[in-house]
Amino acid sequence: MLIENMSMALHAIRSNKMRSFLTMLGIIIGIGAVIAIVSVGDSMRNLFTDAYKDVGFNRAVIMVSWDVTDFRMTDYFTRDEMDRVRDVYQDKIQYIDSDANTEAEAVNGRRKVKYQFQGIDSNYTDVQPLDIIYGRALNTADVKGAANHVVLEDKGAVQLFGTADCVGRTFRMTINKDTQEYMVVGVYHKDISPMMAMLMGNGQTQAGFLPYTVLTKSNDYFQDLNFYVREGVDVNAFLAELTRYVAKLKGRPESEIRTISVVEQMGSVDTSLSAMAAAVGGIAAISLLVGGIGIMNIMMVSVTERTREIGIRKALGARTRDIMIQFLTESAFMSACGGIIGIILGVGLVKAGGAAFQMTVVVRPSVVVMAVGFSALVGIFFGLYPASKAAKKDPIEALRYE
Amino acid sequence: MWKKKDKLPACVTENVREDLIKLVDVVKVYDTGSIKVLGLKRVNLTIKRGEFVAIMGQSGSGKSTLMNILGCLDRPTMGHFYLDGIDTAELSADELSAIRNRKIGFVFQSFNLIARTSALKNVELPMTYAHISKKTREERALMLLERVGLGKRYEHMPNELSGGQRQRVAIARALANEPPLIMADEPTGNLDTASSVEIMELFSQLHREGATVVLVTHEENIAAFAGRIIRFRDGQLVSDLPNVPQSQGQEETAKTEKEGAPC
Ligand SMILES: Nc1ncnc2c1ncn2[C@@H]1O[C@H](COP(=O)(O)OP(=O)(O)OP(=O)(O)O)[C@@H](O)[C@H]1O
Ligand SMILES: [Mg+2]
Repeated sequence: MLIENMSMALHAIRSNKMRSFLTMLGIIIGIGAVIAIVSVGDSMRNLFTDAYKDVGFNRAVIMVSWDVTDFRMTDYFTRDEMDRVRDVYQDKIQYIDSDANTEAEAVNGRRKVKYQFQGIDSNYTDVQPLDIIYGRALNTADVKGAANHVVLEDKGAVQLFGTADCVGRTFRMTINKDTQEYMVVGVYHKDISPMMAMLMGNGQTQAGFLPYTVLTKSNDYFQDLNFYVREGVDVNAFLAELTRYVAKLKGRPESEIRTISVVEQMGSVDTSLSAMAAAVGGIAAISLLVGGIGIMNIMMVSVTERTREIGIRKALGARTRDIMIQFLTESAFMSACGGIIGIILGVGLVKAGGAAFQMTVVVRPSVVVMAVGFSALVGIFFGLYPASKAAKKDPIEALRYE
Repeated sequence: MWKKKDKLPACVTENVREDLIKLVDVVKVYDTGSIKVLGLKRVNLTIKRGEFVAIMGQSGSGKSTLMNILGCLDRPTMGHFYLDGIDTAELSADELSAIRNRKIGFVFQSFNLIARTSALKNVELPMTYAHISKKTREERALMLLERVGLGKRYEHMPNELSGGQRQRVAIARALANEPPLIMADEPTGNLDTASSVEIMELFSQLHREGATVVLVTHEENIAAFAGRIIRFRDGQLVSDLPNVPQSQGQEETAKTEKEGAPC
């Protein structure tokens, strides 16, 4: 009987193709939009997760807030203070540095390449593994001795020396008005997705590392501590603890100590993505409501048009339930068809968009299943009234209907 | 007696009674709000199993009203209608549906086939509501279409068939669940003379094979096929006379003609 109802429903929908399609449109658009936007959201989340993975989930910085009106010299950190923090929180902090960066032009004969150098400690590769293809990473001796040694990305190495295999080669560079010679000790390679590259900028500036001691001399002051928390440590709880410590160290109230962590930023991305999802959910709900009303409307028309058919069926032995199920199947079928077309449309749109932006898009199967199920439910819900109207018709009256 | 929970097929086979139809003081009142119209006024009537009855009368005399009650589409306002010993007044709408499905085969003046649905599917319909398997349904529907001379037309839609052919599909459909009672309200009303005769031959044949046939007609020559003619006037039964049905020879010639005719 179920198969029979299905085939009758399909028959009814097929015999009024255009009308059925127009009726489905609301559902198609609603479901299509949901699928598209949910998938875009999922893809965005993946993208951000990738980006943060790149930075390190356990990374954070701490500083005296820039917002304070009476910024003093003592609000800067010193190397001694950094060492103290490292010692006190040895069991919680895996890596710490002075967050030193510099943009400088490397000169090799007539070749000139702009670099963004990050000053790191020798155990940096523990928290951010580097894929060294030539030479080595920076070691303790480099850092202790503040040696003019650098590790370059292969891309930039090629620009500067014409080859990535340039270990031992030297170039000149001016940092803080001080021109010196620097030597390449290692070259690394890094895979970056096209989308990430786009987000990171034009790619004119090349990346490289040098000992932080080259940028932060022993009697320097610097603004913030850049550190990676050990695995298994609750980042937020630790940041609270460290805030108390730094507040005391700097003689500032805790409210004037600022921390920025990847965990916290990911949370805010999640929050904004969830907010977007909620907004989309609202729009989708309205569109499904409108679609559902459209289905209800057309089912009412259909029931009236087919009054005589209902009479005939009843005369031939259809019970109230049989007629009810027949029309419910039809509206559920129509709505589910709309849902399926909507999914195809939504997925197609997302895939096309993904291809255009060279972005890997994800379509969760659970979302697809839910969309079909939900659209069928919409069909059943909005089909209930027309179907019960059909089922309640008096057979004699219905048979006499012209 | 009939209990509500009984399975219907059982009662179809068990309740083999002499009186298939028994009306006792049946009154039907149509309440149209302002005025009450008396459709039937205390009708008493008994039709035995295997009879071929024609019901005649002027327009508005209550023939259709009677047919609706006999066909379990409607219930009497007063009095009792026993179909195969079952008092229909006690039945719910769904139980009446089940009775119509298994015990009654309807043939209408305007054919009432389901549009855009093949002859085969139309004939299958009563069996679908009786939850008969698809295979059995199709076999039986094909056999029935064969029997009414439309074996090759099973895939045709109603609008691709002539009036006479449509009515033959309707008759095949009426026979689907082998009901004991065939009800026909002016089955030849929309047909030309030749088709009318063909349809009536079909009814005569069904009657000879044991079916009980009750048909309403305005035309004397159609009523002449029946074995009993009942006349109504103003909702009352005014005459009830036996009739000698038309000869069989005429029927045989009609039958061969039909087989030879291109379908
Ligand atoms: N649904 C209804 N509401 C009110 N009055 C009705 C209804 N159906 C029938 N009647 C009345 O009941 C009476 C009998 O009608 P019925 O339809 O049984 O006549 P009939 O013999 O079938 O006529 P015809 O030969 O024209 O089909 C008529 O007076 C008619 O007006
Ligand atoms: Mg009538």
